[in-house]
This record gives sequence, C-alpha cells and structure tokens, in this order.
Amino acid sequence: MAEFAYEPGPEVQLAAGESAKEISGRSPWRIAGRRLVRNRLAMASLVLFVLVVAVSLLAPFYAHHLAHTDPFTSNLSGTTVVNGKRVDVIQQGGGLLGLGEVPIRPTWRSNYFMGADNQGRDVMARVLYGGRSSLQIGVASAVICCVLALALGLIAGFFGGWVDAGLSRLMDLVWAFPVYLLAISLATVLLTKPGGLKWGPVTVDPASLWVPTLIIAVIYIPYVYRPVRGQVLSVREKEYVEAAVSQGASNLRLMFSDILPNVISTAIVLLPLMIATTILTESALSFLGIGVQAPNASWGTVIGDGQALLYTRPLVAIAPGVMIVLTVLALNVLGDGVRDALDPRAKVRVRE
Amino acid sequence: MLAFVIRRLAGLVVVLFAITVLTFLIFFATPGLDPSRQLAGRNPTPETIAAVKHQFGLDRPLPVRYALMMKRLFISRDLVSYGNQALKVVPAITSAAPVDFSLVIGAAVLWVVGSIVMGVLAVTFKGSILDPLLMIVALIGISMPVFWLGEVANLITQDRLHNTFLFSWVPPLGYTPLTSNPWQWFLHLLIPWITLSVLYIGFYARVLRANLLEVQSEDYVRTARAKGLSPRRVLLKHMLRTSLITFVSLFGLDFGVLVGGGALLTEVVFGLPGVGLLTYRSLVALDLPVIMATVIYGAFFITIMSALVDIVYARLDPRIRPA
Amino acid sequence: MKRWFVGFSGVLLVVALVAVGCGSAKKSTPKGGGGAKGGTLTTVANAAPSGSPDPQVNYTLQEWQLLIFTHDGLVAFKRTGGKEGTKLVPDLAESIPKPTNGGKTWAFTLRKGIKFSNGQPLKGKDVKATFERLFKIGDSPNAGTWYNVIQGADACIKTPKTCDLSQGITVNGNIVTFKLTTADPEWLDKLAVPFAFILPASTPAKNVSIPPPGTGPYMWAQYAPNKQIKLVRNPDFKVWSADAQPAGNPDTIVQKFGLTVEAEVTQVENGQADWMFDQPPSDRLGEFSNKYASQVHVNPLTSTWYFAFNVNEKPFDNLKARQAVNYATDRAALVKIAGGPKLAVPTCQVLPPNFPGYVPYCPYTKNPSSGKWSAPDLVKAKALVAASGTKGASVKVNTDTTDTDKALGLYFVGLLNKLGYKASLQALSADIQYPYIQNSKNHVQFAFSDWFQDYPAASDFLNILLGCGSIHPNSNSSPNIAEFCDKGIQAQMDHAGQVGITDPTSANKVWAQIDHKVTDQAPWVAMYNPKYIDFLSKRVKGYLFSPQWYFLLDQASVK
Repeated sequence: MAEFAYEPGPEVQLAAGESAKEISGRSPWRIAGRRLVRNRLAMASLVLFVLVVAVSLLAPFYAHHLAHTDPFTSNLSGTTVVNGKRVDVIQQGGGLLGLGEVPIRPTWRSNYFMGADNQGRDVMARVLYGGRSSLQIGVASAVICCVLALALGLIAGFFGGWVDAGLSRLMDLVWAFPVYLLAISLATVLLTKPGGLKWGPVTVDPASLWVPTLIIAVIYIPYVYRPVRGQVLSVREKEYVEAAVSQGASNLRLMFSDILPNVISTAIVLLPLMIATTILTESALSFLGIGVQAPNASWGTVIGDGQALLYTRPLVAIAPGVMIVLTVLALNVLGDGVRDALDPRAKVRVRE
Repeated sequence: MLAFVIRRLAGLVVVLFAITVLTFLIFFATPGLDPSRQLAGRNPTPETIAAVKHQFGLDRPLPVRYALMMKRLFISRDLVSYGNQALKVVPAITSAAPVDFSLVIGAAVLWVVGSIVMGVLAVTFKGSILDPLLMIVALIGISMPVFWLGEVANLITQDRLHNTFLFSWVPPLGYTPLTSNPWQWFLHLLIPWITLSVLYIGFYARVLRANLLEVQSEDYVRTARAKGLSPRRVLLKHMLRTSLITFVSLFGLDFGVLVGGGALLTEVVFGLPGVGLLTYRSLVALDLPVIMATVIYGAFFITIMSALVDIVYARLDPRIRPA
Repeated sequence: MKRWFVGFSGVLLVVALVAVGCGSAKKSTPKGGGGAKGGTLTTVANAAPSGSPDPQVNYTLQEWQLLIFTHDGLVAFKRTGGKEGTKLVPDLAESIPKPTNGGKTWAFTLRKGIKFSNGQPLKGKDVKATFERLFKIGDSPNAGTWYNVIQGADACIKTPKTCDLSQGITVNGNIVTFKLTTADPEWLDKLAVPFAFILPASTPAKNVSIPPPGTGPYMWAQYAPNKQIKLVRNPDFKVWSADAQPAGNPDTIVQKFGLTVEAEVTQVENGQADWMFDQPPSDRLGEFSNKYASQVHVNPLTSTWYFAFNVNEKPFDNLKARQAVNYATDRAALVKIAGGPKLAVPTCQVLPPNFPGYVPYCPYTKNPSSGKWSAPDLVKAKALVAASGTKGASVKVNTDTTDTDKALGLYFVGLLNKLGYKASLQALSADIQYPYIQNSKNHVQFAFSDWFQDYPAASDFLNILLGCGSIHPNSNSSPNIAEFCDKGIQAQMDHAGQVGITDPTSANKVWAQIDHKVTDQAPWVAMYNPKYIDFLSKRVKGYLFSPQWYFLLDQASVK
C-alpha cells in the first residue's frame, strides 16, 4: 500500500474553530498539543491505545495469578475444571470414527477464558502476551525506521549530487526487494548459526524480537525517506539557511540546528501511522511463520495457529485479529489527529 | 526531460540487477541450503550428490552460476525448479500471471468505484454525520489485516453460513480460469475481490476526500461556481478530474505491486494459484530458480510503475529534482 | 504428512495389515477390485510429485502409486489389499527364479508377446539398457546404494556416461541373467520398485519430463506439473498375470494439482473429485467422523516418527540422559498432536508393528513388562538426569516448520525444561531441515525425523538409520542422524544380513534382538507409528489398500 506522505503548510495556521488570539505568541508544539487535547476522537483513540497497551502489560498477571498457565509450553495432557468437572484440555474427536483432537471451548472463566489452541495453551494468555510482542515490534520498528529515514533523508537532501542519487537508488532497491525472502533467509541464517549471529558485542538470538523489528524497520525506510528528503531540499533554499551558510556555519551545525528541527515534525506526524503499518506488517510476517518465532507469540502467530482450528474453534483466529484492528484503528485516528494538530492544512500527498 | 527518462530507466535496470544478485547471494549464504541435495532425492550417496552437482553446474564459481541461471531464465527459457524438475519456471509464471491479473483487476474495479463513491459522498455531505461516519468506516477498512479478513470471510462463507441462502453460491476455495467457465471464474473470485479491495477502498476514499477538499478553494473551482454551474456539476466535472491525478498515480504504484505478486496473502488465504502463491511456495521450499523468477517478475512491475509515476510527476511538476 | 509433498515419502509394506480402525462401518476386504470398467477417476493433490518425473529418479509415493500400472518390473508386489499385497509375484518374468552361485546369480526368463505402449515388443536388451540407464542419468538417488551390487556397477558410478553392465547382465534370447558382487537378501524387493521398471532401450539417457512408454495397462498422456497428470489406457496391453498387473477399471485416471488441502476435501465431499492424495487438515476430521464416515478409510503405516539424539554431542552423549528423556516422554500427548489414538499408536522401538523382526518392546514406561507404552515415568527420569550430571545443559530442539512437526518440537522444549535442561526451539524450513540435521558439521543435539519403509526388511530401518555404514561425516547425506555406531550391534546386523539370504525367519529373530538392544541404547525417542486416511467420493467402489502402494487407484471403480 502506498503511504501517506506529509507536506507541511507554510507557517502555523489557524485550525477550524480556533481564534488567532489562542495561538499567538505560543510555540508551535504547544499549540499542537492544545489542539490534540481538544480533538475528542483523537483523545478517545489515545485512550483505546493506552488501554490495549495496559491490557497487554497485564499478560503475566493473567497467566500467573488468574489462569495459572504457561502460555509458551504445550499442555497436551493437561486438564482443567469446568462446572466442577475435570475435563481434558485437548479432547478426542467424537463422531463415528473418533478422528482428530479438539482443544477445549472457551470457558469464559479465569482459566482457558477463550479456550485452548492446538497445543493446549491458554488462548487468552497467548493473545495478551502476543500483544506485548506485536506492540513492542511495532513501536520499536517504527521509531528505528523514522530515525534511520531522517538521517538518510538529511544526508541525501543536504549533500545532493551523487550521494543523493546513490541513496535514492538504494531506496528503490529496498522498496522492490522481496521482503519475505529477506525474512525467511535471515530467520534461517540466525537459526542455523550456533549461538546466533554476532556483530562485535551484539549477539542476536534467533528467538529475539529484534529480528522482525529490524527487518520491518528497514523495509519502510523509503516511505519516510522520500518526504524527508523532499523537505530538506526545500528547507535548504530558505533564507535563514542561506544566511547561516554565509556566516560560515559548518555542515554538521547546519544539518542539526537549522534543518533537522524543521523536518522532524514530518517524522513525528508519520510516527503513529507508521506504527499502525508496522503492526500490520508484523502480523502478516508472523502469520506466514517468518516473523516472531515459536514458542514466542504475537497476534500474527496466534492467527496462524488458529488457521488450523478455523472451523472448530474460530475464536483462536478471531480474537487476536480484533486486537489488531482495535490497535491499528486507534493509531490511525490518533495519527490523523496529530497531523491535524501540528498543521491543519497539511496535505495528503503521494510519495514523490 | 528525455535525459531524465533515460536516467530513470537505466536506474531501473541497475536496481533489477542488484536485486537478482542479492537474492542469489542470500540464497547461497544460507547454511544448510544445498541445491544438489535438494535435487538428489532421499538418501543419495555422496557420489550421487557430486554427480548432481556437476550435472547442474553447481560446482562452478558463483558468478558463472549466476550467469548460467540468467541465461536459462531469459535466453533459453528452460530453467527448471529444484523441487520438481518437470516444472519449467517461465511457463509456471506465465500460467500463474492471469490469476493475478484476474484478482487484481477485479479488485481494482471495486476499489476505484467504491472509493470514488465514498470520497465524493463524504465531501458532498461534509458537515453532516455521514462524512465522519464514512471516514471511520474507511479507517476500519485500512486497519484490518487482509489475511485475517480473508480467514473470517472463509469462516462465514465456507462454513458458518454456507448452508444458508446467503452464501450457498460460494464455490470451494480455488480458481477457475476465465476461458474455461466465466461464471465460475466470477464466483470463485468475488469474495477474494471484496477482501482485497476493502483496504484500498478505505485508503483511496480518504486520499480522494482530502484532495477534493484541497481543490475546493482553488481559483478555477471558484470561477466555475461563479459562472453558476451547479455544485454537483462542479464537483464531478472540475474538482474530481483534478483530484484524480494523485489518485491515478497512487493507483499505478499499488497496481504494480499487486500484479507483481504483492497479493500474496490474499492468494494464500483463498488458495488462488497466482504468482503470489508461487512466490510463497518457492520461498517456503527455498526453491531458488522459482524464487529468482518471481522476484524479478515482481520487482519489474514495482520498479517500472515507480519509474513511470516519477516520470509523469516530473512532467507535471518540474520542481521535482531528478535523483 | 509432510513426507508426501516434500519428497521424503517412501513406500511401505506391512506384513499383517488390514484396513483397521474406522469403526465397523467399512472394513475394506482384500476382495474389492474387479468392479465395473469405464469412466474417469479424478484425483486431486496439492502439488505434483516432487523431484524429477523420470521413473528412475523419482522417489515419491505419489508418483510410484501411478507408475505401478503404467510400467512393470521383472517381479512385482501382488496388486491386492491386505497381507497378500506384500507377496512378490513374477511380472515381466515368467517365474521367480531360484538364485544360484550362493545367491549371486539370478536368471530371469521374460514372458513372450508383451509390448510397450509405443508398439515395440519387450526384449532382453531393454532390461539391460534399463539398468545401464539407471546409472547413466547420474542422479538416480538409489543407484549407488541399491543397485551397485550388480557386477560392473562401481565403474558406472565413477563414470556414468560410459556405463556398461555387460559383465553383470547377460542377455541370451529371452533369458536375462544378473551377476551380483555379493548375495543380497533384498534383491527381489529392489527389482519390484519403480527404479527397476523396464523402459524401452531407446529411452534417452537423461531425465525425461514425462515417464516414457511402459508395459502396463495405462500410459502417461500428460504431465503438466502445475496443472495435471493424465493416464489413459494402453491399447497394446493384454493381461498376462492378474496378480502382477491386472487390467484397471477406469478408462482414464487424472490427478489435478494446485488446490489447497481444504479445497481438496470440499471437492471430494461434493463429488467433484474421487480421492485426495494429501492428508486432510485437522479441522475437517470432525466432518469426516460425523458426516462422511462411510467414505473414510484409515490404515496403519509401517513408519516410525522419532527424535534422534546426537550421541556424539553433549548432553546426550550420556546414555542416562537419553534414557531419562525416553522415560519422561508422554507419548499419549504426542499422539494427540498426530490426530489422536485413532490416527497414531505410541511406540518405544525402531521397527514398526507388523514388520519383519517386530516384537513389541517398551522399557520406557510405567509397567514395562507388557511391551506396550502406558504412561511416562517422571520419577525415574528425574533420577536419571540427576545421576547423569547433565542437568542445566542447554539443548536446541531441532524440527521443521510444518504444523505437526513444530508442535512435536515444542512439546520437547517444554519437557526438557521440566527435566532441568535449558531448551530452545530451532524450527527450520522442511526443505533445509532434513539435510541440515544429517550433517555432523552442524552439531545438532536433538532432531525430529521420520521414516517410511521402502520394502519390507528390518535392515531398511535398523541398518540405514542406525548402522555404522550410514554415517558420512560432514555430509548432508548421512541418514544415521543419531551418529549411533555400536561395534557389537553392527556385527550382529551384518550377521543377520548373511543369515537372511538363506533363512529369513531366523534372520528376523536376530533383527528383533537388535531392535531391542538399540532401543536400550536410546539413540532415539521413538514417538509413534502413524496411520493414513483415505477419503473417497461417494461413487467410488472397490477400495483396496495395498501395504506396499497404499490405495490402488486402478482397482477402484467409478462406474
């Protein structure tokens, strides 16, 4: 999907229903903050997002204190008590032939609240822990992506010439590169190297969430890079930058104190939308089995596990999907709010 | 301008070359991957493996192997899969491509019509409850993972409500070619079309709405209004036409990605044997010849569409500095 | 299940098996067959048989199931269901000869009047050319392991292009004589599988993209790997032995590719297809049990699914540690992963039930005297771990990414952690995993694998998977994954092989001892022996399950 690119309007603008008095003499950030707080829809979605995060953080509480289960270990021969009766978590299929095994239905009680998956693990606990991974990967990869894209966009836009041309081709390459191949091979390489990959002091464990995080961060760099670069190009031509140049400011100083503050809002506006996108991507990779690796869970892996149970225990696949929709929806609404707050006349533009 | 076009197209070739080289290197850098072992069957002796290695040229240096593979892919066009040596890669792609085109063109019709209707309605009824309502619906569409939506669609149409009048017409998962039975083709693809287009309807409706609002204040629209044209006429004839420039270029990019195998998740969930499914299967089986072919196929569509959009934009907006 | 489409499938042979399980609704009797002729039998499969379609290279059950009625060997497994289906009968040869020269010389007399589907008559030179081609094509997987007993074969392996077996195979009119370098108790079995099916001498010595003309009642009309296989009647076929090669029932047999397994089930349910090759997904089994019980057949397979310890890597170089894991393993839980007790049976030993040399044996259970597994013994297991001094060692549990195999791996991660090890999962793509775990360079500690027999001989499990000769260090092809090599046991295996040439019954008694001794050494955690589900459309009559070839497609009737 093509992404939003953000192009700020010329100066601080009046938003609908705002008087000039309210914004005069205040810093653009404070004005934006005020506007955001007044946007009820955005605030509601912020509350929703915080709620999802809070619930996910409560995963260990549910697993250890309510359900007393370990969501990462299979529990095929386990039993639980429903209506005073002890029942198997994985039950033999009925019918004339008695083929197959079926996990327990949702009990709507403190353990196996949403039933069990194919391996007798508590689906509720898996969804909650899955949320932790999905959110962590989503937020971390979006932040890393924006930081890297800012750096590259700054360099390309500032130096121009062959640096710019080279970086832009590199971005083309990243964009057209087969993401799934990268994910599969990287996972394989990591899994098959004894002790994981080592780069100097950094060791990457194959089960580490950093693997999908970095893959996702890298593939979305071009989406943020392009608008940043375009903006650096236009800021460079501004008078105050020219003035700084004529005063003999160093390149570094120019980049960091004159240009960066002007383009950073682009990245901030894009951040919630980026998190929404990275969460969706993570779920797709994990659904295909090449994102978060077992026994770790993420919403995508739980949906993948639920695929084999779709007709018998549909909740296993549906529940994490609903969580994704709620989270991504909240982030999208919030992203809209942030954009409107920072610049009510911002345009939605095609990537250039 | 011409120089820009030539440079952009040359860049495209470089990117394609770099992608194939990278794919090739990643494959051979993956430990445990031994194509001669893949080719030799269950319990070959080391001698058999050596023989297979020689027979398929796998004992030669990497650049030679790369060149040989490219030759067999593009010149002699007889490259075969490592997994099934009767599977010729080029015919496999050409026979899978119509599935992608069927899927993507159908979905594209839905999403273009759907998003224009939604966008125009939202602008027409701006200020009423309909506008934010439509935009929330659009946002929900954007927020759903397509594979999950597909699973839920399958659950409803293939199982839970399959025996009711609502969905008893839904055929089993899979694909029927247009040429063999147009009606079955249509039935098989209808649910996948809807599933795939939901995201794009939401996205395009939002883009279109924003663009329409932006155009509203432009001079020529004011002029048109001042001339006494009806608001509907102004909206449909003048504003929409201008807004569609962004729309069409976005569409070009998305269409390129999807036709090049980007509808992988939809194809996997609905069992549609297109290039996306072929890509997925070859990736899971780590079948290099098929991976190479699908990667090139996909990258070709993506880069050419991206280059086209760049060129068109450079024409429309000379400020864009060619990079 | 993955075996079927990733190409490690074998064929198998069961000694005493009938279609069991599946309630009383439909016990398939060895009668069947002989139904009405005509019509098209439409079958569906997810993908075409993997590997080359060449009959001398392909090593999949999927293609072998079709090759048996398009081609013939000198001998054949009797084309029928049940125990009878393991019997060898003469096919292109008039009779099964008695070997001479201490089991090293075999003289076959070819039947007269048999024609290939291209109209050419079958001659002695075709037999010789077939075996030379097996080496000339260079990538036949078993040429170097099964057929290298023919005199002169070693030279053929070194220089395939110039292969000449004049020394080992002599043709005199319609008598073809094989001379072997050593007596081989499995020689006749090897002649009855598709690698040794006779092709016309004119067949080019390179991989073909559709099986060449054969002598059976059907011939290959189409092989489109992303679309379908189509077999039609061979006009030149006349029945010469109904036991070896009966006339088939359907006029045409089609196998379509590209459907998802879910869609395959639906097509068979709706009667759009008559049989699905793949095993049904677990969420459809409920439907089978309730709505389609009469169309389902379940049969046990001679296959063992196991995790191999690497006996040369810590911590499982320690016998007590290996035995501890065996005692702790809850095989009933693993059976649940395989689809429940109707679809898999727990085991502790290498050989599967109903196999030559099988005597039930299970030391790793509570109440071991019965020979059957009943429950895990965690107390004993924990004591053994403590005694072994391996507690706290880290273990990577290696498996592949298919659903079932990954679930099995996850079970062992949990179990090993419970026993005090530090376990983690290493799940690789199925196409990498099997070569990867064989290579000693990769230092795999504990790995999933499975084995389906090629033909009914205990050595096909014990010697191939746990014999000293099956270890090739630093090679991706080293089927002894456990790297288990016990000099005493190996000597006994060699001895059993010798005895088997003249006295198979006594040999099997020795194999039974070997099986038990190996089990005591615990190079594996043997988990279970699986069963196979056949799902047929309503109209199919005459279902027969051959222990060697499974469902006999040509003997079913759709009229």
